[in-house]
Amino acid sequence: MSSRRSRSRQSDVSRITDHQITDLISKLQQLIPELRGRRSDEVSASKVLQETCNYIRSLHREVDDLSDRLSQLLASTDTDSAQAAIIRSLLM
Amino acid sequence: MASFIPNLEPRPDTSPEFKRKKRRKTYENPGPCYPTQGNQRIKRWRTLREQHIYSSKLIEALCRSRRTSSSAAAKEVHETADRVLAISDKGTTRWSRAILTSRLHAGAKLRKHKKAKVTANTRLQKPQINGEKRKLTVVERKLKVLRRLVPGCRKLSFSNLIEETTDYIAALEMQVRAMTAITEHLASALGGGAQPPANRLGSNVNS
Repeated sequence: MSSRRSRSRQSDVSRITDHQITDLISKLQQLIPELRGRRSDEVSASKVLQETCNYIRSLHREVDDLSDRLSQLLASTDTDSAQAAIIRSLLM
Repeated sequence: MASFIPNLEPRPDTSPEFKRKKRRKTYENPGPCYPTQGNQRIKRWRTLREQHIYSSKLIEALCRSRRTSSSAAAKEVHETADRVLAISDKGTTRWSRAILTSRLHAGAKLRKHKKAKVTANTRLQKPQINGEKRKLTVVERKLKVLRRLVPGCRKLSFSNLIEETTDYIAALEMQVRAMTAITEHLASALGGGAQPPANRLGSNVNS
């Protein structure tokens, strides 16, 4: 009992209720495409966090690949024609 | 008839004000309160308008950076994309501010110092919190990994971290969508449609 009281003075973590934690984790679960359809009581918190980390890493990798392709495309042509081509395609 | 009018009038006056007051409160107290304001931010990332704004800013920034330095390395493109993403957030979230400040301070030196400080603190704190040995639980380990992935969130509390993560994921998704569209447009425009404009201009010859 006394250890719980001292812990609440030291850190803010114990002030957050369990209900809020499950709420936040279910909110996170809705964002991840793999876990979106499943019910919140089927998926554990650690699995949600794991899938979140994996998803963020895969998004980073995708942006890496895309920037690689984009740099190759931009290098193969000079700036003005690239800009004109993009603007033309965006307007259309 | 007369009874309807006073009912209607105060509502449109008070409801946006009440919402504004709610928003101010949540900005001031970064505690475990997360009203609809977070959902509105996420919906903003999903609109097409935001994607178009980001695309045009990114193209502008890329062309500007290509004029200054001739090499267009993939890492440079990635950094530019991240920076424009952080700018389009207009500093409302922690990760965007962390991206922008890390670019300004030439992040490598600062990150090394910060890492040394953080590890020293955790080594000191671990035996002090409980008398016993404290092993990190599974959830805490995952949170640690998450803290490393989302920029600027190393010392954040649990609820703030989850909020930042949701915003960061939405922003990254928009970044992927926008960059995919740009690459496709560029590839199709340069590959297929490049020849007719070259004929019109007469100067550019793409081999």
